[in-house]
Amino acid sequence: MIDPAKLAAALRDFRSAIGADNVFDSDQDRTAYSDHFSPDETRHQPGAAVAPANAEQVQAIVRIANRHGVPLWPISRGKNFGYGGAAPVVRGSVVLDLSRMKAITVDEHNGTVLVEPGVGFFDLYDYLRARKIPLWLSVPGNSWGSVAGNALDRGVGYTTYGDHAARICGLEVVLPDGGLVRTGMGAMAGSPNWQLYRNGFGPGWDAMFCQSNFGVVTKLGLWLMPEPETMAGIDFEFDAPDDLGWAVDTLMPLRRAGIIQQAPSMGNWLRSAAVMTRREEWTKDPAPLNDTVISAIRKRFNIGWWSVQVRFYGPAEIAAASMAVLRRAFDKQPVLAMKETHWQQGDPPEGSPFSGVPVSFPLANANWHGGRGGHIGYSPVLPPRGDLAMDQFRRTHALYEKYGMDYHASFAMGERSLTNVNQLLFDRDNPEMMTRVDRFFRDLVADAHAHGYGEYRTHIEYMDLVAATYDFNGQALRHLNQRVKDALDPNGIIAPGKSGIWPGRWREKQA
Amino acid sequence: MIGRGVMVLALMLAGGAALAQAPAGTRISNATRGGMQDRSSHSPAEALFVEKCGMCHRQMGMGTVILARRMDPALAMLELRHDLTVDYVTAAARGGIGNMPRIQRGEVSDAQLRVIAGYLAKVAP
Repeated sequence: MIDPAKLAAALRDFRSAIGADNVFDSDQDRTAYSDHFSPDETRHQPGAAVAPANAEQVQAIVRIANRHGVPLWPISRGKNFGYGGAAPVVRGSVVLDLSRMKAITVDEHNGTVLVEPGVGFFDLYDYLRARKIPLWLSVPGNSWGSVAGNALDRGVGYTTYGDHAARICGLEVVLPDGGLVRTGMGAMAGSPNWQLYRNGFGPGWDAMFCQSNFGVVTKLGLWLMPEPETMAGIDFEFDAPDDLGWAVDTLMPLRRAGIIQQAPSMGNWLRSAAVMTRREEWTKDPAPLNDTVISAIRKRFNIGWWSVQVRFYGPAEIAAASMAVLRRAFDKQPVLAMKETHWQQGDPPEGSPFSGVPVSFPLANANWHGGRGGHIGYSPVLPPRGDLAMDQFRRTHALYEKYGMDYHASFAMGERSLTNVNQLLFDRDNPEMMTRVDRFFRDLVADAHAHGYGEYRTHIEYMDLVAATYDFNGQALRHLNQRVKDALDPNGIIAPGKSGIWPGRWREKQA
Repeated sequence: MIGRGVMVLALMLAGGAALAQAPAGTRISNATRGGMQDRSSHSPAEALFVEKCGMCHRQMGMGTVILARRMDPALAMLELRHDLTVDYVTAAARGGIGNMPRIQRGEVSDAQLRVIAGYLAKVAP
């Protein structure tokens, strides 16, 4: 799809603009920027990668790409595993790798940070600890990735700041024509309020650059949680699949009322087993794990069929009162086990993502089938009702059984929604399984769509599939996105196909 | 230096969070505490290793957890090994190995990888 002569000409210009050392186009480089969870890495393989050092170089690259008609695929750190990693939708695109842009500016007094896209969660964590700055991160289960990239992709974490996109405050963006803008109060030169007041004056644009291809974010403002005096909570275990419904109906009123301010995630037994063990330790039977194996897993890890963790953050009096409300809500309910946890300032570090400590070990679930594995996420959003959660669980579980896959799911409780995060764990070297996974995924999306549920995020392979399920008035929103795309990016340079948004010239080719 | 005991957090967060146990042969710590890595370093080369590789190859990293299934868990952290060569580390990083993805040159330059490989191979700089 990408003209080799145009790519070669663009690469020459990239080299003179940012230095030959930062332009990567060997076979090894192309493979390195592919999706390493994919059974066929060539399907979304880029043509090259370029790694600028600053926003000025990003501008230069975008202008060169426009001149030659070569599409760019911006990545922050390329660790979006399960969603395509560093790989572009369109094969042959040039990956715009922002890993080298690692500036961090913390406003300790106000609890904010301004990060460049190359800053990972571990980088920011190290930065804060080295300076003894009492601010906590909110980290995702894979914290190898980028703070900015995760927020822009609407990633989530475990603290009260876990809705990362909601904590964005001010962006710097290179537009598809190479221009540079700052959003919110950053629109005023030298404003001290850029990371403090989101809206600025007139329309607010931060959300426009989330999961979009309307520009390249080169700086992102984010609010960080002041270290609380106390963190307290309860780990709940539930014995039966049917406990999901009433547990959701017990927790959601507290969530809506603002008593619970993080998003409790109720997940099944496989979450533990898939990270800490391999499947072959439990069974040789390729069929979905049966009740005997499930019982053995639960016994070994001392967990329920479902588990959920609730945490409160703040002054000791408030945390204690919140704990009392939570205990009262579960009073006389058939909980299998409840374990209270408590941390306060002066204790040794709590050491888990609930206190913003970055981790990478959940990625070990890629090893569940042994060998080279991977996963993709299927994550529809549904109303926060127990009966609907149970219905969603039963339908999805039946599809897991139909396609012979081990059920791996959680229900994360937002303020007004449930996100049903399902992991499809696979062995990418098993072609038969990979064919099954693809059919399974398409069936899952169709099942959600039939109930009016859409995914909040998806893999590059399925962006068109998911975008098409947002179908009100003939996919009117997608058409709006594409009109905006054409206005800002007439040459279709930035990330064609991202979130199902195709520039005009690509739409014509597809027609 | 890093701690000798491979401490294991028994908390798991793949798409959520749940209690879990350690890979065989590693010591189980408290369920919700002690998952933090030692991020300290005593040389520029060690600091570079921590920055670029530590998240997976120090305590409770993905690489450490998976390697502990395949070899002596006490040696699952790369820094404790004595059998690593510069060429092997370089090949593993650039080519990927098992579940480890390839490390792109935008993230770790060739010059940086030479320093890290030398550190792991215990070659004097």
